[in-house]
Amino acid sequence: MTTTLVDATDQAELALLNLHKKFMSESRPADALLPLNEAALRRFELLKFPHRKHEMYTFANTKELVSTVFSLPPETPVARDFIKNHIFPECESSFLVIADGVLRDDLSDYSAIKSAINLVPIEEAVAQSEIREHLADTIEKENDVFASINTAFLGQGTMIDVPRKQQVETPLQILHVSTGSANGKVTSHPRVLVRLGEMAELKLIVKYVGVQGNYFVNSVMDVLVGEQAGITYAQVQEDAGDSWHCSKTRILQGQNSRVSAANAFFGNKMTRHHFEAHLKDVGAELRLHSVSVLNNQDQVHNFVRIHHEAPHGTSAQVFKNIVNDKSRSSIDGTVIVNQGAQQTNSDQLINNLMLSDDAHADNKPNLMIFADDVKCTHGATVGQLDEDQLFYLKTRGLVEKVAKQLLTKSFAESLIQTIEFPGVVEYLENNLLKKLEA
Amino acid sequence: MLEVKNLRAGFDGSEIIKDITLSVKAGEVHAIMGPNGSGKSTLAKVLVGDPSYEVMGGEVTFNGENLLEMEPEQRALKGIFMGFQYPVEIPGVNNAEFLRMAYNARQVNEGKEEIDPLDFDDILTEKMEMLSMEKKYRERNLNEGFSGGEKKKNEILQMAILQPKLAVLDETDSGLDIDALRVVADGVNKLRNENNALILITHYQRLLEYIKPDHVHVLSHGVVVKSGEKDLALELEARGYDWLAPTN
Repeated sequence: MTTTLVDATDQAELALLNLHKKFMSESRPADALLPLNEAALRRFELLKFPHRKHEMYTFANTKELVSTVFSLPPETPVARDFIKNHIFPECESSFLVIADGVLRDDLSDYSAIKSAINLVPIEEAVAQSEIREHLADTIEKENDVFASINTAFLGQGTMIDVPRKQQVETPLQILHVSTGSANGKVTSHPRVLVRLGEMAELKLIVKYVGVQGNYFVNSVMDVLVGEQAGITYAQVQEDAGDSWHCSKTRILQGQNSRVSAANAFFGNKMTRHHFEAHLKDVGAELRLHSVSVLNNQDQVHNFVRIHHEAPHGTSAQVFKNIVNDKSRSSIDGTVIVNQGAQQTNSDQLINNLMLSDDAHADNKPNLMIFADDVKCTHGATVGQLDEDQLFYLKTRGLVEKVAKQLLTKSFAESLIQTIEFPGVVEYLENNLLKKLEA
Repeated sequence: MLEVKNLRAGFDGSEIIKDITLSVKAGEVHAIMGPNGSGKSTLAKVLVGDPSYEVMGGEVTFNGENLLEMEPEQRALKGIFMGFQYPVEIPGVNNAEFLRMAYNARQVNEGKEEIDPLDFDDILTEKMEMLSMEKKYRERNLNEGFSGGEKKKNEILQMAILQPKLAVLDETDSGLDIDALRVVADGVNKLRNENNALILITHYQRLLEYIKPDHVHVLSHGVVVKSGEKDLALELEARGYDWLAPTN
């Protein structure tokens, strides 16, 4: 197989429609999903692939991605040892493996929490009106073409349902494996929906990995958080270097619900993470922490939209990005405070550490406030290492190289330390920070 | 050990130290006193090689070597230590790990084996007990969220671990209550021996009640206006600095 490139955008769209036809005939999604596939495909045709000056893709150049012709991945075996290496210690008997978007019962083991959660295939979940309406609504409102594509290719999604008042103490890990390809390019569309009933609690770790490169993974995760429910999650994106990843997390929060999210990005040819949260009811709390450590030609672009739609909501975001060599990072983050969302508290802080003149870090923090009694802050810094800190370490006998490495690590470490899962913290210290030693 | 001859130095082109000559021998304690802006801290920073300060003239040797040509880390490895007046906070750097790194940097420089975390833990425990520091400070990030007093204790902890030949303590007494001052001074006294030397930079005489200096130098407007023995500190306490100010 060889890689085919198409130049014009409409050619790219045609190629996608062809792939979709193939998907419908080969994968045969359940009848219950067909209206969603169809509606999402129409949405895709309306939105189209982003042109160069698209406002949602100011920093992320998708030209190479959209002009690449992908095929659907053949069913590929995944070695158990490979899986084992990517399961965090807190999740040894509470993990789900999703390979190229397909939940693999044979590779998963969630015995530790089997009685606490319900796993529902997406085609069964849509029988529930709440889920069906949520999906229909989001298809209609979707403004991110890649998320529309995900739904157009929806066939094998999974709903993780945490019943009312159920507190799941043991963290659940979802391991997304992209099997990739030795030649030619493949694409998959993993879809996970997490629903927490009233007063339910869930700890979730999501990790993306690739067995080999040459893939485009286009994932979406919906998180519906009921009244007074809470979810703590960490998402680690460690894709193969030769891959693209568009991921979207869409969160809907009920009254007095709590979401604590942490994202860690290793970078690849291009990662674009779209984080969309709706604090729909009174008193919702959201925390989003994010760390990227990039070198070579890695690209990670965060596109964040937080909608405060009810009074007394709180959102706090912290981003820390380290860019070295010719890597690129961007944060396009807007907080929207609707009219009536009084007493909103919102903070956003973006810190970038530049280690090379050829690296890029773009920031576009934005506040759109339509209420008058709110407290919102945002700030962004782009800088080098702190001279006073560097001097201090040198006066203790650390040579410049060691002192710089220590400070660079500490920049990311201060965010990593805020992640609630010790296994994830240790993993990132040993692996994400290792990128700084290259 | 340390010879400072006709040193001139400053900051942003302005000369703060106009002419300082000083000779510190092993086993000695020197106190540098003077009002704010007299150049005390500038002297300390120049001795450890702060890149923000500029040497405009004179010479400084340490055990016969030209100190002014050395990078800050070389000076540290030669045995010079500064206790900062305002230690910086470094979030994300674990205090105990940092202390071990600094200890090992010196070990390697002296051709010795690096120490592993377990063995280092014994050293750290002993030194922290000497300074009545709570255990939690080892797991914290370097100086992050430390009170003013704990930051100063942490400086002396580093001194205890690195065992410098020459320690320059810049306003170590400021921010310490009387109990903490006593603990810190006791710690410093325990670290003294005939092979090392100490320069205490202080505005007040208070610290000198606990650490007895052999020599006291009074700085004013960047020059040493008076040198004497420890009685001079008492006189300064009683009479203030005004009587020593140059009349120009």
